[in-house]
Amino acid sequence: METLLTVLVLTGIFVALVLAAYRASGPRCSPWPQRLPFLGGGEADTHAWQRYHVRFYTMTLVFIAFEMEMMFMYPWAVVFVEEGLKALAEMGMFLAILSLGILYGWREGIFRWQ
Amino acid sequence: MAVGGTPVFVAAGGGILGAVEALRLEPALTPVATPRAAQVLLVVGEQRPSDRIALARIHAQLVEPRATVWWRTDRLSGFDLGTRAPESVSDAAAFISAQATQSDAEAILLDDAPPNPWEGIGPHGQGGKGMMGGTPYGRPMAMTSDDLRDGLSLDAYTATFGPYLTQWPPGLIMETTLQGDVIQSARIVEAPLAQDVLAATPHLELARLLRLLELPALAERLVRAALANPSRAATGLARAVRWTGVLSAIPAGLGRDERGGDVRSRMAGRLHALAAGRPAEPAAPGDVAAMLAGLEWHEAALVLASFSIDDLRRAIVSPAVRMAKDAA
Repeated sequence: METLLTVLVLTGIFVALVLAAYRASGPRCSPWPQRLPFLGGGEADTHAWQRYHVRFYTMTLVFIAFEMEMMFMYPWAVVFVEEGLKALAEMGMFLAILSLGILYGWREGIFRWQ
Repeated sequence: MAVGGTPVFVAAGGGILGAVEALRLEPALTPVATPRAAQVLLVVGEQRPSDRIALARIHAQLVEPRATVWWRTDRLSGFDLGTRAPESVSDAAAFISAQATQSDAEAILLDDAPPNPWEGIGPHGQGGKGMMGGTPYGRPMAMTSDDLRDGLSLDAYTATFGPYLTQWPPGLIMETTLQGDVIQSARIVEAPLAQDVLAATPHLELARLLRLLELPALAERLVRAALANPSRAATGLARAVRWTGVLSAIPAGLGRDERGGDVRSRMAGRLHALAAGRPAEPAAPGDVAAMLAGLEWHEAALVLASFSIDDLRRAIVSPAVRMAKDAA
């Protein structure tokens, strides 16, 4: 009980200190002209809320495909000694599924260097 | 960013770029690419009166306490802030560095009010119906348009860039429509300003390109050579630049001019000129705005830097002349 009280009191003191420092550190918001994006002196005509294409998404797909493979292979290498053929078949199935992802990526043209 | 020097944002005008390069070498100063990283706004060279608002915007974007210093130029009317630095480069550097700590904080010149008031209506407060359209903060939402690269139609963003964008020639203002980092279309609002003789040497033209290609140490060697003697052949420096493999890092066929040259061949031409100790041959860019359409942002910056400022000025007819021509 005593420990809990100490923890609570200390937490309260630190929260109060942080809040006081926050309040003492001056105004929260920068003035409006300072918040504008830097365009070398120019101004935006359209609103910044917009959608654009994340063009690296296919690379992340390949990364996950290969990384997951390796993550499974380390423990598998240990078990393989005891299990033998059964473990080999399991790994074959797993790789077959992952290679579908790689084939899909190939079709999307992610291995082409641009 | 180099360690030690006062971070300075240089708002360069006309007839000054060579002198700015000399100032950049001063250890007391560290030129930065955006006003957010700067303590001092350094306004140099001849300024267009029409760029006053742009300058005020940059000034407001500096972190506090901000200071303004004018070097080799007079204060613009309506911009009564800051002090004049001494003419000589080393005195100016010391003066600017001192201003960062000594001068009183300057207030911003623009009104502290939203540039366009909030007009949030609609299901997401965006000012329109559904997810699309509307004008929150008075600016229209970006809407989809055809993509030049791979046919995905995504939102196009239109903004005016310049005249103080550090990667571009000083004074150039372009209204650019971007989709991600691809330039959809560009419209030139103002041509770059004419620069001093030193800025047109192959040394400094190469230095600007090399800085864009992230080889600042080589750029600095070129600037030092230019300041020592701009007309002396610098074979060793040309070789040093070529051996970095920088020419093969530039995509082939980028920014074809009217004579069939690209960024790579124009840079190679500059290297030849540097090794021979003569000025580089002028190029004919043709329609600059059309050339930039379809390029990625960094490619466009390379294309602009691959032409000399005089080439660009010749190719870009100023809007006033264009209007007079249309009227005739």
